[in-house]
Amino acid sequence: MSVLLDARGLTKRYGDFTALDGVSLTVSEGEFVSIIGPNGAGKTTLVNIVTGLAPPTAGQMSFRGLDIVGAGPVTLARRGLARSFQLVNVFPALTVAETLAVAVCARLGRGRRFWSSLGADRAVHAEVGEIAAVFGLADRLARLARTLPQGDKKLLDVASAFALGPELILLDEPTSGVSTADKHAIMDVMVGAARRLGVKAIVQVEHDMDIVFGYSDRIVALHQGRVLADTTPDGIRRDTEVVATVLGKPRS
Amino acid sequence: MLGGVFHAAVLFLVAAGLQLVFGVQKILNLACGSFYALGAYAGVSAVSWALAAGAPPPIFPLVLVGAGLGLALVGPVIERLLRTIYDRDESFQLLLTFALVLMFEDVIRFVWGTAPHQLSSAYLVYGQLRVGGLVIPVYNLVVIAAGGAIAALMGFLLARTRFGRIVRATAENRGMAEAMGVDVSRVYVRVFTLGVALGTVGGALVIPATAAVNEMGIDLIVEAFAVVVIGGLGSMRGAVAGALIVGIMRAVAVATYPEVEMLAIYVVVIAVLVLRPAGLFAKAAA
Amino acid sequence: MSLRLAVAAALGALALFPLAGRDYYATLMLPFFGYGIALLGLNLLFGTTGLLSFGHALFVALGAYTAAFLTSKLGVLDLEVILMAAAVAGAVIALPTGLLCVRYVRIYFGMLTLAFGMLFYSFLLKFYAVTGGDEGMRVLRPRLLGLAWTSFSKVEFLTGPFYYYSLAVLVLGAVVMWRIVRSPFGLGLRAIRENAGKAEFTGVDVRRYRLSAFVVAAVFGAVGGALLPIPTGLADPLLAYWTHSGNLVFMLLLGGFGNFFGPVLGAFVFIVLQDQVMSITQYWRFVFGAILAVVVVFFPQGLTGLLDRRQRAGT
Repeated sequence: MSVLLDARGLTKRYGDFTALDGVSLTVSEGEFVSIIGPNGAGKTTLVNIVTGLAPPTAGQMSFRGLDIVGAGPVTLARRGLARSFQLVNVFPALTVAETLAVAVCARLGRGRRFWSSLGADRAVHAEVGEIAAVFGLADRLARLARTLPQGDKKLLDVASAFALGPELILLDEPTSGVSTADKHAIMDVMVGAARRLGVKAIVQVEHDMDIVFGYSDRIVALHQGRVLADTTPDGIRRDTEVVATVLGKPRS
Repeated sequence: MLGGVFHAAVLFLVAAGLQLVFGVQKILNLACGSFYALGAYAGVSAVSWALAAGAPPPIFPLVLVGAGLGLALVGPVIERLLRTIYDRDESFQLLLTFALVLMFEDVIRFVWGTAPHQLSSAYLVYGQLRVGGLVIPVYNLVVIAAGGAIAALMGFLLARTRFGRIVRATAENRGMAEAMGVDVSRVYVRVFTLGVALGTVGGALVIPATAAVNEMGIDLIVEAFAVVVIGGLGSMRGAVAGALIVGIMRAVAVATYPEVEMLAIYVVVIAVLVLRPAGLFAKAAA
Repeated sequence: MSLRLAVAAALGALALFPLAGRDYYATLMLPFFGYGIALLGLNLLFGTTGLLSFGHALFVALGAYTAAFLTSKLGVLDLEVILMAAAVAGAVIALPTGLLCVRYVRIYFGMLTLAFGMLFYSFLLKFYAVTGGDEGMRVLRPRLLGLAWTSFSKVEFLTGPFYYYSLAVLVLGAVVMWRIVRSPFGLGLRAIRENAGKAEFTGVDVRRYRLSAFVVAAVFGAVGGALLPIPTGLADPLLAYWTHSGNLVFMLLLGGFGNFFGPVLGAFVFIVLQDQVMSITQYWRFVFGAILAVVVVFFPQGLTGLLDRRQRAGT
């Protein structure tokens, strides 16, 4: 299985504070990796660095062999790396269809076209329809994003990341704010969408251990900016240190 | 050169008013120049009346300051108007203050007409100092001293008094201040009025040195912005630093290359915005 | 479709105006065309992309002075050439200015654009050898479609061929802008306005899109600005003053900046209103300031917003 993301020795310092200390992460095609750890462990920092929000103080990152240190989100999307956010992030006055169209246009390279009518672009319409169907939003295409219920907003946010057609997608707490009953449903939708849309690997930051153990091929446990363990779910369960520092804390 | 510092002192007053209001209410008041103009015109009228009523000439700065302070009473009224859009997008706030600019332009025209108003006699009442070949009107020094005093007073007010602490707390985190029992609306009214007062007093104090003309308000706004940008939005120390830089730069430019006077200032503003967008002493984030 | 009917009716009214109405009103409408084009550009920047520029007058003045320079200094009288030159001038100035300005948003963007506008004003004022200083620069009567229309008196020229020419340019500009707004690029701009952070993560190169919007707005501003001084024959430095930029934003707000037709409606109402108010009182600025305040506080969506509400309430 070819390697998609290869990050080595990522370090991030804010003044005296070290958020990440020599973190390495490799993700290959077909993998579902979960990043776990207590608050302040550096999970969000790691995701932000990998997805171009912040530059690392030290370390290297490459995607499919191409160096991505310092690359911005737009370049990363073009290379095949997308992410969703923990806090729901939508375009309030755009419809569901328009939101997805923004991503689809980026994927199809339509962005430079300032003359052609978007309304008449059948390829875009078709893809928007397909993605909406996969995420169960097909009947809400014309609704304004700000009128959607919270759960649908979350789905839309994730869907627009998927619509970029990435090879690797990073989900930051995809089930946060979702009721326990719906969590599995959402995860199934996302895994199904990944398969349908050609996403080759998923990385998620997640607190809910049911979800983590239920879906991951690999689990990476972070603690105080360092990798405690990077192994299969069974391996994690047997790792007493991880159990104590990460799993031992009851999930609120 | 000292003329530059004099100009800086006046600029500081207007800019301080801008900074204060921006720091606390997060509104960039385009009408600050209008308050400056109002203060100037009112100052001329007040001193003319006072002199005609037989007041001794040397007290005219007090009359000026009095006129400025008196005019600041429009502050609460204006604040009441601005209050309606505190929570809206910044663009609307800018536009509302622009509406004020338009209105004040005509208010001034209505009350004082279109001819320039001057206080030619009062300027040299305090005489002049001869310092090593330079002739400096003492009045300039009075204003510079006043500017410095007000700056110190503002610093003290904000850092040491209870009111100052409340103002700073509200500026940093309005929600938190409210939760701790601060009457935020009252703070806003007071801060805004203080900001207006700084502008009107600044305008009044400049009046012996220049004539009050219709365009002075809208002309000044750009310099005030320059000061605020160079010094950093929301910072008092920035207002001082920015005012000094702009004031002195202008004096230097006028003395050497008059054509580039304002151009130089704009170039510096643009340069600062590009190199250090937060200004020299910034508090607010870009 | 009531919208198409309304637009067609408006166009028809505009076309028939000089024939039916008095010359005074036809000449009054002339700035409307220039401002309408300039405002279409400003609307792309503010309404569609969410960037409020307080320096749009820079490009309007640039266009005006391009027209002045070409006609009175270089003897180029073909309006087609002048308009194209204005467009190019707008783009050339907008690129470096935009590169600087779009790095910032909101208040800083407003202040930077204001500073640039005033910089241009200063330049126009001080370098009087080139620009004529505060006296301005003359703009000679241009040739339209290669014809000099010498048999027409000034008024006949302005209310006849020039009127229809300007109307045509406005319609052309509107068609171009319509397509831009409806394109994927336009959608990207709206995404940036709604949530620039998310737009970046949805594949939109925010800075490049903003710069493009800035340049397009500048081109429209300059083309509109080139038409403006022709009736009076004079390009004036005050065209670049920041309060002129403020008036442009005022017009936009009045018409409604979310809506495609807002800018044109705003320009129209502003000009008609200004004429009416000026004939009643010399303190028109006060009245306009009050109107602006009322609009900002009570009708931020402008006239098109009001019409929208009425239409929705009626259906």
